[in-house]
Amino acid sequence: MGNVEIFKNLKMKKVTPLTEKTLVIGNGPQARCIAEELLAKDADLIVASEENAFVLPFPEKTEILTGVKIRSCEGSVGNFNLTLDKDGEKVSRIVENVIIAEEAVRKPNFSLYGLTPCANVISLSQLKESLSDDSRPFFKNKKFVFLTGLAKESNAVILEEIMRASLKLQSEFHAKTYILTKNLKVAGHGLELLYRRTKEAGAVYIKFTESQPEIHQQEDDGPVILTFTDDITGEQFRLTPDITVADETISPPENTSDLAAIFGLDTDPHGFLQSDNVHRISVLTNRKGIMVAGPSRDIQSPGEEITDTGNLALSIFKPSDERETASAYKAQINPRLCSGCLTCYSVCPYNAILPDTTASVMPDACEQCGVCAAVCLSRAITIKGLTYIEISDHIEKNTPQKKETFTPFLLAFCCKRSAARAHELASCMGHKLPPGLKIIEVPCAGGVSHYHIFLALRNNADGVLVLTCHEGNCHSERGNLYAHEQLNMIGSFLEIAGFEKERLLIKPLASNMSKEFAEITNTFEKKILDLGPSRFKMKKQDFSFLT
Amino acid sequence: MADKNVLVLGGGIAGLSAARKLADFDIGVQLIEKSAFLGGHGIQFSCKATDKCVKCGACVVEETLENVVRHPKINVLLNTQTQKITRSDGQFSVTLQKNPAYIDPEKCTGCGLCFEKCPAHGAISRGFSKSNLPFYAISEKNCLFMKDKSCSLCQDTCPEEAITLDQKRTDHVCETDAIIVATGFEAFNPESKPYGYNVFDNVITSLELERTLRQESIVSRPSDNKPPEKIAFIQCVGSRDAKLGHLWCSKICCGSSLRMAKLIRSRQPETEMAFFYMDVQTFGKDFQVFYETVQDDIRMIRAIPGDIFRTETDRLRMAFLDNSTHEILEEIFDLVVLSVGITPGKDTKELADQLHLAVSDSGFLSPSENGIFTAGTALGPMSIAETISNAGNAVWETLKYLRI
Repeated sequence: MGNVEIFKNLKMKKVTPLTEKTLVIGNGPQARCIAEELLAKDADLIVASEENAFVLPFPEKTEILTGVKIRSCEGSVGNFNLTLDKDGEKVSRIVENVIIAEEAVRKPNFSLYGLTPCANVISLSQLKESLSDDSRPFFKNKKFVFLTGLAKESNAVILEEIMRASLKLQSEFHAKTYILTKNLKVAGHGLELLYRRTKEAGAVYIKFTESQPEIHQQEDDGPVILTFTDDITGEQFRLTPDITVADETISPPENTSDLAAIFGLDTDPHGFLQSDNVHRISVLTNRKGIMVAGPSRDIQSPGEEITDTGNLALSIFKPSDERETASAYKAQINPRLCSGCLTCYSVCPYNAILPDTTASVMPDACEQCGVCAAVCLSRAITIKGLTYIEISDHIEKNTPQKKETFTPFLLAFCCKRSAARAHELASCMGHKLPPGLKIIEVPCAGGVSHYHIFLALRNNADGVLVLTCHEGNCHSERGNLYAHEQLNMIGSFLEIAGFEKERLLIKPLASNMSKEFAEITNTFEKKILDLGPSRFKMKKQDFSFLT
Repeated sequence: MADKNVLVLGGGIAGLSAARKLADFDIGVQLIEKSAFLGGHGIQFSCKATDKCVKCGACVVEETLENVVRHPKINVLLNTQTQKITRSDGQFSVTLQKNPAYIDPEKCTGCGLCFEKCPAHGAISRGFSKSNLPFYAISEKNCLFMKDKSCSLCQDTCPEEAITLDQKRTDHVCETDAIIVATGFEAFNPESKPYGYNVFDNVITSLELERTLRQESIVSRPSDNKPPEKIAFIQCVGSRDAKLGHLWCSKICCGSSLRMAKLIRSRQPETEMAFFYMDVQTFGKDFQVFYETVQDDIRMIRAIPGDIFRTETDRLRMAFLDNSTHEILEEIFDLVVLSVGITPGKDTKELADQLHLAVSDSGFLSPSENGIFTAGTALGPMSIAETISNAGNAVWETLKYLRI
């Protein structure tokens, strides 16, 4: 998208008063459960549902927008400006927080088993629905086969539903049940016990390891015949069920990808609205003030959905933290230097950049990672702790006295969440570290720019390390990847200029990896000892671009 | 907001998360831990990332622990247990018994001299995180001074005069508005299983492997410190076991053992590994991909081996049923890792009596409300992520109870 288009799509509203409203987006039980819980604590709510009916116990206490679609969301936490579509009309609302809590989509796995749905081949949801209906005499004394996790791995949520259905079929309809699976997914609360109970009630479990049952459906609506070899005894079996039940794949709600685009949210590999990152536990996203719950964020059991509600409530009602970083510590963009290229806007992991003729920072959304400052070609962005002067002072203060024997001066830029903590632990554990190693703690390795690297080299560092979080563990989601790109690029430039690129090293490291910290730094020191002192020279005037 | 206080029992990830979240609401927290270190089992876990993070959550424990010890609203009491709890007018009065720390956290610099000099094995232990303050602890069971006052080497050598061995246990009474019970789990002790644990050096538990990988980064055989050529992982030791009456899946072991196996594979690529299992459980959001790739590196064998014997060359021999040939096979390994299950804490019953809490048939605590709330693996097996969520919800229930 070109800049002009970005500007067109993002007509920014000017400063609006802050609000304490929370928007809940969802149609089903999860959204209702959240709304009820928050309303009981007098939260100021707006509920937006794509469906036309959404019933709440205290309708007078909240605004319910039914039949609406979210069109856009601008601004940041405390001041999200939303545009919704209601019957072709545009509606605007300003809210402090947004909660996304839609219901999951179930897709029956008929085709994975070569089956065509018909009266005797049904999905798990169809069976559940029939069982909740009081009179189903047609299940009486019937033989049921459940197929689960045979074509692809299933999960505990599906198994629990199958076992509950089996138990009901056995106890209320004297039905015979067979459950065919690969790995029995009992890793849920009380499921092993439930498994034993279904077995005692007569359920037969057939587990496959390398083989698969052969499934034949005679014609499109005909009976199903299953033939297989027992894994343990090697015996041949044949099953002719009256009803075959296929398991289901649980997928993100249908509008998830739209919502991800509108709200600028990272998704996981399946498309759920939360990146697979431990920093988002349990209902957080890459954006402050936008939370996800229940089936919008993962495949969940009903118990976990309740837990999510409690965690959401904590996020919504949490008093603003006085100790939270003052805006002076957030990224600052100098409008006189900003060229309006919007590189910062495209890389900011937290959507904290407000694009306009020049970019500016929304301080409430900024998490001070420094990624924007590192990529800014106009050097218009500064962030406290990462400025040229501060880093330069820091390096100068730490530059060791020249010794008679060569002791490599190693400068390590360490992410404050991971490597800097690993360094502390390494010291605690008494690991031997290179004597010339100096640490510069940075908020995120993605905030280390080529200026910092050149500063280090100009200040006689014999080797420069950048130690990042592991891929998929970066609080800024991609800061570590930017750091890798950046360092590799500088390395190749230096190589062209005839300088050893081995003097630069980037490695991932977790906060609890003290031994690895020692190993990486000691190995690096050995390498630099082999290379000898750095020959990097930069005349003052060559360096003027940095000041 | 009125000044409210909450007592959190247990300093593992459930208690730490609960304490942190309560403190965010400006509630005064007394965090009680019976051992000398905060962090519970989770703080002993290794990061299992190879090149990418595998979402085991070990680093989150580290981060939460750091946030807790720095938080001005949280007061941590180590080496402390509850003695008596009474309740009147919605207030709890809790008698706490605190064993002395012997090492003053204010003075201790963590230099480790005491640890080096101590002549009694196991008398001084070391923390796992740099946020474990003090980083060293003296064990009354093994310390010679506690036994017969025959040694005070640590006290005499400590350059900061941080150690005072002659201290007495003290009782404290703490008034609190609510209690969160987050007393965690006990790892299954596999001595009763026919695998030779505590008989053969090279049979270890998954927890011991976690600690080794965390501290040493690579794995070696305890008997000779040599890298093992072949490692066997045995799953469900103490879980899903009708004979023991353990009718639960511990939920975390498939994930932690397979992730550790992959980690060993990446650091010690020559190692051959076999994984003996009943059912592989789904863990993590990218399980399908993980499970497919792990099978290239690790031999998956759907069988639970019988007895383990030591060979003449100090290796371990075991027999199991091979599914493809339907025959009993024998195989020899250098190291056997027992994936020990999550079981209820030893003092669950006693604690439940003190607090009038219900215990489920499986022996874990039942969820509780009305002033005393429960969180984490004291309720049953949970992963780190699940425990954090569960603790968050317990905090929310507590806030509602306190009308905050």
